[in-house]
Amino acid sequence: MDEEDLSPAEMMRLIEEQSAATARRLQPDPLLLYAPWGIAWMVGFGAFFLSYGLDGRPLAPISWQLALSILFGGQLLAGAFLFWTARSGGVQVRGESAQRGMMYGYSWFVGMMSMSLIMSHFAPLLPREQVGLLYASVSLLVVAVLYMAGGAVWREWPMFLIGVWVAVVNAVGAMLGPGWHSLLVSLLVGGGFFVTGIVLRRRG
Amino acid sequence: MSVPDLDPVIHAQARLRVVATLNALCEGDQIAFPGLKDLLGMTAGNLSVHLTKLEDAGYVEITKTHKGRTPVTYVALTRRGRLAFEEYTVAIRALLGGEQ
Repeated sequence: MDEEDLSPAEMMRLIEEQSAATARRLQPDPLLLYAPWGIAWMVGFGAFFLSYGLDGRPLAPISWQLALSILFGGQLLAGAFLFWTARSGGVQVRGESAQRGMMYGYSWFVGMMSMSLIMSHFAPLLPREQVGLLYASVSLLVVAVLYMAGGAVWREWPMFLIGVWVAVVNAVGAMLGPGWHSLLVSLLVGGGFFVTGIVLRRRG
Repeated sequence: MSVPDLDPVIHAQARLRVVATLNALCEGDQIAFPGLKDLLGMTAGNLSVHLTKLEDAGYVEITKTHKGRTPVTYVALTRRGRLAFEEYTVAIRALLGGEQ
């Protein structure tokens, strides 16, 4: 024996502590996973809401170009943040879970690219405010489907359920028009992501 | 207290921690040596010695490869190692149950 003998209780505690510590290091922090997107969408769709208003009259002098820049800027920051946390905290693991993560990452890229191409075909045929709503609701549909799929891949109920939540809020909002869509997405989807991050961190 | 049924390869603090860590990986995954060293807080020399013992027992698979020009070593629990760890935890639980 290399070290002094431990009692069974101490061995059991050692197993539990080491397994928990490893799981913590291998799984990303849920707060960092959800909260940055929550903030980006609250602010970005909030800006769109102020620029649309609910009855067609803008609530603040925000052009759609400015609102779009705020939304894109926020998403870019959230994406960069995600990339940075994944790189700095990650223990190098290869094998099946790395392949899973890679395929999932490419699904986002391919899905969003394909959607943009289809949208660019239809955009010139629609009135301006409908174009904005179409882009926003179809991209959020891709987001919703990919979160549900991610939940299936990693058997994570919170991830699956937030995908369902995005799908429902997005569809209802799209039926109600551009102003309501951006208001509901800002509060319920953006806010939902933010709260999910905090709740999962607390439970973790 | 006598512990006749506990696997002597795993029944050593350091190796138990190594096996518990590797068991927390998904099946089919391998972890790079430096990452494993960090998770365990062991020195490279110490970890190597324990890994060799685990490898000799058929519990651990060590893969040496290259990333560009730098050599990288990956470590994973074999199916046999996973089973041995499972049996070990069952035995420990049985002992704990017997104590109470």
